[in-house]
Parts: sequence; C-alpha cells; structure tokens
Amino acid sequence: MFNSRKIFLYAILFAAFTFTACESEDPEPENDGEVITDVILNFQELDASGNPVGAVSSFSASDPQGIEVGATPTIETVELTKGKTYQLNIEVRNSIENEDITEEILEEADEHQFYFLGTAFVGSPILTYQYDDLSGELIGVQGILTVQQNPGFNNANMQLILRHDLDKNYPGAGNPNFQEYAMAGGESDLDITFPVVVE
Amino acid sequence: MNLKTAILLPLILLLGYKTQAQDCTLSIRGKIIHLENNEPIEAAYIWVVEAKEGAVSDKNGNFTVKNLCSGTYTITIQYLGHKGINDTIKLESNTFTKTYRLEEEAMGLQGVEVHGHRDAVQTTTAVSALYGEKLLESRGENLGESLSRISGVSTFSTGNSISKPVIHGMHSNRIMIMNNGIRLEGQQWGAEHAPEIDPFLADEITVVKGAETVRYGPEAMGGVILVNPAPLPTKKMSKTSLNLIGGTNGRMGNINLVHVGGSDKIKGLGYRIQGSAKRSGNVKSPEYFQKNTGVSELNLSSSLGYSSSKLGIEAYYSLFHTELGILNDSHTGNLSDLENIIANGRPFSDGEFSYDIVNPKQRVTHHLAKLKSHYHISESWKLNFQYGFQLNHRQEFDKRRGDLNEKSSLDLELYTNTIDLYVNHTHKNELSGTWGINFIQQANSNVPGTGVTPLIPNYDMVNIGLYAMEKYSKGPLEVEAGVRYDFRNLSTARYINQELRTDDLNYQNFSAFLGGLYHISPDLTFNSNLGSAWRPPNVNELFSEGLHHGAAAVEIGNAELKSEKSFKWINELQYDGKKTHLELTAYLNPISDYIYLNPTGEVYVSLRGTYNVYEYLQANALFYGVDFAGSYEFTDKISAYLKGSIVHAKNRDDANYFPFIPANRMDWGVSYDFAKDSDSPSNKITLSNVLVARQNREPDFDITPPPPAYALFNVSYQKQLNIGENKLNLGLQVQNLFNTSYKDYMNRFRYFTYDMGRNVLLKINYEF
Repeated sequence: MFNSRKIFLYAILFAAFTFTACESEDPEPENDGEVITDVILNFQELDASGNPVGAVSSFSASDPQGIEVGATPTIETVELTKGKTYQLNIEVRNSIENEDITEEILEEADEHQFYFLGTAFVGSPILTYQYDDLSGELIGVQGILTVQQNPGFNNANMQLILRHDLDKNYPGAGNPNFQEYAMAGGESDLDITFPVVVE
Repeated sequence: MNLKTAILLPLILLLGYKTQAQDCTLSIRGKIIHLENNEPIEAAYIWVVEAKEGAVSDKNGNFTVKNLCSGTYTITIQYLGHKGINDTIKLESNTFTKTYRLEEEAMGLQGVEVHGHRDAVQTTTAVSALYGEKLLESRGENLGESLSRISGVSTFSTGNSISKPVIHGMHSNRIMIMNNGIRLEGQQWGAEHAPEIDPFLADEITVVKGAETVRYGPEAMGGVILVNPAPLPTKKMSKTSLNLIGGTNGRMGNINLVHVGGSDKIKGLGYRIQGSAKRSGNVKSPEYFQKNTGVSELNLSSSLGYSSSKLGIEAYYSLFHTELGILNDSHTGNLSDLENIIANGRPFSDGEFSYDIVNPKQRVTHHLAKLKSHYHISESWKLNFQYGFQLNHRQEFDKRRGDLNEKSSLDLELYTNTIDLYVNHTHKNELSGTWGINFIQQANSNVPGTGVTPLIPNYDMVNIGLYAMEKYSKGPLEVEAGVRYDFRNLSTARYINQELRTDDLNYQNFSAFLGGLYHISPDLTFNSNLGSAWRPPNVNELFSEGLHHGAAAVEIGNAELKSEKSFKWINELQYDGKKTHLELTAYLNPISDYIYLNPTGEVYVSLRGTYNVYEYLQANALFYGVDFAGSYEFTDKISAYLKGSIVHAKNRDDANYFPFIPANRMDWGVSYDFAKDSDSPSNKITLSNVLVARQNREPDFDITPPPPAYALFNVSYQKQLNIGENKLNLGLQVQNLFNTSYKDYMNRFRYFTYDMGRNVLLKINYEF
C-alpha cells in the first residue's frame, strides 16, 4: 500500500528538482537585414543613337539608422538637363549589413516593380520613363528617362515607389506612371520623393 | 439523479400543499455542500422525520421544507457515497437556516460522481459556464469564438482565425486563462496572439467575470477563464468520444478523439488521453476569398491520476501547435498602403481557394506540464501542491525579400515555472478558507538570427504572492473575503543600436476582495463582489520600439509606467424558475493608471514611407456596463432566449473613449423541440439572430470610423440518438445564413476585409 504522506513529499521534491530556474539567454545584437538605408539614382546621359555620353551623375536618399523614430532621411535634389535622354539605374543598399539589395530585387523580378510618380511624371509631365531592364521584365532597376525639351516648369517632384508582391498582370500595371498601383495589390518597400530641377 | 429531482420536486410540492390545511407556515431552509471543497451538492435527500416531509437539494445545494408547525424536528440528510447526517433542531420562528457539510465516506470515495453541472470555482462573484449541449454546439470553434457564446464575453480578433476573449471590455494581459489549473503563460500581450489552448481538452469552460486577483494573482483584473477537463475516473471504466466536424467555409475539417479509462487493478487510478487536429484553407467573405487565411492545428493532452481517501495526485501534459496564415492584404508597407486598402474596403483581388499557408504566418507551439497533489492532513485540513512548467515558442514570418523569407522575423521562447502551495480548511461550522503561496518564474529569450531588431527584450521575471481567503456560509448566505500581497521583479536586457541596455524593475501590491451571495428564495440568488486588482505593466508596454506592419504604426514603450490599479464591483441577480431563467449582471470598474496605446498625431518618415506613431500612456479609466441573459419556455415545444451586453469605457482624464471596446450587442433566438417529452434525447432546431450596433463610443482618433451595425441569422439543428449504450450527437449549423457582408468593430482586419460569409457546419459526436 502506498504511504500517502511520503508520496506527497516525493512529489514536492520531484517538482523542486525540476524547478531548476531557467534563465533567459543573453541578448545578441540583431542586424536589420530587411531595411533599405540607401537608394542611389545613377543617371547616364545617352546620345541620339543610345550610346553613353560623359560621366554618370548620381543622387541618393539615405537613412543610416534604418527604422528609428525622429530621424528623417536625407534626400538629394536630382539635377537634369532639358531635352536630354538618360539611362537610369537604381541601386538599393542596406549599409547596416553592407548588402546590395538590387540583386535581390532582380532575383525576385516577378515580385518587384518600380513606379515613377509625382509632378515630374504625372499631369503635365516634364519627364518620361520607360522600363529597359536587361531581363526584359518590367522592373525599373534600369530604364530610359527623357527630359522634355520645353518643360512647363523647372522644379518638380519625383516619387519613387517600389512595390513588392504585386500582380504584374493587373490592367495598367505595366505603365511606369500607374497612379492606381495599389490596385495591383502588394505593398510598398520604398516610397521616396526626390526633388527634381531641370535646367 | 437529475431525473429523480424532476420527479421528486413536484411530488414534494404536492405534499406541501396538502399539509397547508394545518395552518402551520414555518419552514426549514438549508444548504448542503461537500465538506471537502464547499461545492454544493445537488439532489441530496432531506427528510424531516416527525413531519414526514422531504426535500431534494437543488443545483445550488439549497433546500426548503415548507409548512411546518413549531416544534422539535429530526432532520436526516442522505447523499450517495456520503456519510449521512442526523440533526435535531428546534423550530420556533420562520428564520431557521443551516448549512450542512457532507463528508465523503472513505470506503466509497472513489471520486465524486458528477451529476449535472457544478461550478469550477467556488466564488461569490459572477460566474458563467459553457458545458454540455452548449459546449457541443461550439465544437470546432477556437477558444475566443466559443467563449463569445457567454453574455458579457466577446472577442477581439485579427481576421477569422485569431480571436482573443474579451470580458467586460478587457482582454490580453488583463484577463487570465487557466489551462486545467495552470495560468496560461504565452505571449498574451499581442493583439494577434491567440490563447494557446485547445478548447477540445475542456469538458467545461468557465468565465469568472469579477476581479479575482486574490485567488489567481495579478492580471486577473478583468476576469478569469477556466478551461477544465472532466475529473479523472477513479474506478474501472472505459469511455471514448469522437468528434468529427466539417465546415464549408474554408473547407474546414476538425477531428478530436478522447479516451478516458479507470484501472481495475489499482483502485483510484485513472487516465485520459486526447488529441485533435484541424485544417482549413482560405476563408470566404461573401464576394471573395481572403488570401492566405488557412489554419493547421495539432493538439494533444493527457493526464494520469491517482486518488485514495487521503491522497490525490495528477500528472497532466498538453501540447498546442498551430500554423496559421495572416491575410495577405493586411501586410501593408506604409501608411499610404494602409490608407489605400482602407479606402478600398476590401482586398484588391478576389483570391481563390487554397489550403496553402505562406508568409505572413505564425507558428506557435505551447507545451504545458503539471503535477498536482493534495493530501488530507485531517478531516478538515487539506494540503495542496501544484507545479506547472510551460514552454511557449512563437515564430512570426513576414513577407520578406530573398532568403530572409525563410527566416522568422519574430522568434520568442518563453519558459514559465509556477508553484502553488496552499491549504484548504473546511469545518462542520460555518467557516472555510484557503491560505497559500504562489510562485512564478519566467524567462523570455529572443532566438537570434531573425535579422530584425526584437520587438521586446529578453527578460527574467519572478513573482511571489501570498494570499488568504475565508468564507462564511450560513444557510442561504455566503460571505467571502480575501487578501493578497504580490512582489514582482523584472530584469530585461536588449541591444539598441549595438549598445546593451538593461533594466531592473520592481513592483509590489496588496489586493483584497469582499463578496457575498444570498439565496433570496430557492429560485432567486443575488451576489455582489467588490475586488481590488492590479497589473504590473507588461514588457511590450515598457519596452516596445518598432514597427507594427499590419497597422503601419511605430509603437513606443515607456519604462516609467506604473502598475494599473483597479476596483471592480460586480452584482448579479439570477433567477432559475421552472420556465424562466434570468441572469442580470451589472458592474462598475474604475482603473487608475490604465495603460493604453495612444496615437501621438506625429508621423515617422523613412525611405519606405510614413507611419503613424503611437506611444503607451496612462490615464484614469472607468469601465461600466451590464450583461443580461434569459430564456423562457412558452410550451414544451417552443422556447426562446435573449442575451446581450453593453460596455462603456471612458478615459476620465480627457473625456474620450478607449479604442477596441465591444459595441452594444444582443443575440436572441427561438427553438422548437421535436422530442416527445423532456426525457427523450434532444432533437431541436434553433433560429437565432445576432444584432451588433455601430460603436458610437468611438475615440477621437482612429484610422477609420467604426463599421456600421449589422445583423446575422444562424440556424442550428441538434439531434441525439441512442445506439444501445452509446450516444450519437448530430449537429447541423448554418452561420451567416444570408451570406451578409459585414465588418465587426472588434476585428482588427476590418480595415482590410469583410468578415466571413456563410458557413455550413456538420458536427458529429459519438460516445462509446
């Protein structure tokens, strides 16, 4: 027959033994792999036959902290010349991890697409853009940008939106200046507005 | 036994009328409870020898023998498996009342036989439970959904697969969930973190609506939910129950198997083993499929128990594992994405049916093991010991680029140890009580390698509580009071911008309660309870700093937050007539330093776009409201019910309302019973209508106004068949009969989508 009192004591002992206070692990610093800290727009002037002319001019937007409240990104003003045609290459980087995110965008070309909005492209546009990605898909990492010969104004905004997980077959989604981009689903990975000056 | 009551009661009443001619109008009133645990005994037999009059105790243990003349009487009380009581009393005035405690006979102990329903917790505060047929109807739903069948309880949900119970406007860390006696410790702070518990393990789910901090510890300020399996068998038996459930919406399949057995060889040894699995795919709103809303769940539980006259031991283990998809469209990149989808009012694409679960998704595993033992030191003293171990592993996956998509962006491991040591004393006189010590130790770690700065730090928490409660019962009156002292230490560590930051915080508090219950008549009970409660700020409220994708919000914690302190005064009037059942609950709940997430009105700008900034603030709050539930039998065939709740939650500091407080709601229905008489197996059809008002008590700021009021219609048919010794229950339910498009204020995904459309469910339960 069981000795009830003994069993009860054993139960307490057993539990006390199991109750080896487990402690939390020491925290480890985590690098935000997802965050985009720098977006660089590289403009290469092209001549009438599409050959590069002169040096590349680059303009960037950066936010070194990634996500932190209070700090706002530093955005350079894009300066372009009237009537000229440029090849626009967009470079996206994570400086925290020192990683080139452009490669990932190209790898997942079917899930990503840049849209070009703002006063520079919409309404009475002073800039026109067409996709010219090496793979032939509509991504916007590389494209051709033309500045109007006689733009209605010299100062404008260029809103750059990178959509992720969108439906590229949605009617209108192939237009780089598609204002209803949200209708194609997905979410914004980037949404930056660069000031533009044309001279 | 219930049957016996049903036959005896009218008989006794008849006898009562007969004797009225003698012009004696005195009566004996009393209450019969278990000596061991104060639970009322239903259907004990009371006989007044001299008067040749008898009575049977009702489900609250109360009895009345009416129409007696003054004089000396001998009362004998008998109940199966219990020592009888012979008492000689002198009846002079009409105020005679007495409580009798029946002691279980050591020989015939073998567990208390369960007759009908007994409350899972003996308290003077308002308690409602889901059991029997009602629980059977709720099978296949998650815990939050099941509980919303109780008046005063609603849900706070994230889409159609995640729902958290809300008691009187409080949820998450302000209420406590007990899994078979152990406080469930998951990452309850998150709005999208559903309780890690399988409702199938329960034989009964009880909601305590009052503040029960003294009994259960801090955080039980809004109420307590007890998910309890049936007691283990203590004699030879074998019973298996199988549930099969299918639903058309989401093409859901759910299976549950429970086997209960009692040993023949070792007296008092019993066991139970239970397992359930659930799989569902994309939920359909009336006009489209909600992309990525599938659920895959696998749960197990088992227990082994031994009980003798002096000793009881129970070992218990439960596993909860779920993987669930989060509506694809709810994952917004920035505020403009959020505004776009809110303006659209529904997902941009129609989606299609699929069982696939892709990112964003959650994967949660919860282990709970416990060891419980009690020992009867003497007839009136019982020593109890309980140890619980829990491991909660939560992984949340976001839509990410490249290889990161395979990695979880939140990966938390939470270990919790709890020890309870307490003594119960019950005496033949009117006093009984519980004194105890409660110890909680917790360790939370972020599993490294997520590539995301953790939302909450790693931490260690220790909580020690000392408490004492005493209850005085005399006849129809019960008075209960208790005090508790808690001390909590929280030490946290995290990296912010590559710098280690640690905090060490202490909290302590006294809490107390006073409650009373009075049986005005055998049918009518009134109870009132005033309890103080407190809740130390939670880790996320103290230290959150980061982006909340679904809400396009940056949330900022505040390490300076103080503990919340509250008083809850709750009153309940309950009437249990032959045809009428009524339950009316009213409460007043002022809270000082109520912690809430307040929009700062500022936006945070990043390369990804802008976000709203929210911060945790404290304010003086006042919650008050009423719940009501009632039913009436028009005829043997037709009955109707009505239930509803109203809750107000005011911010007294700036005359504003708090967000995410349930709107006024009401639910009513009519049933037709095809069964020949009340003893035949049930065969019933019910048409019900849920009415939910627009939340007009809205806060000044919300990203979108509350959705309009809505009305839903549901039909359910329940039939029981007896196949020899075995029982087969068939249920057919149609929810949202007219496939109405609606949005509920308490569903966080109302920003993105309409709620679930029509769902036809077939529920089969076979007991053999």
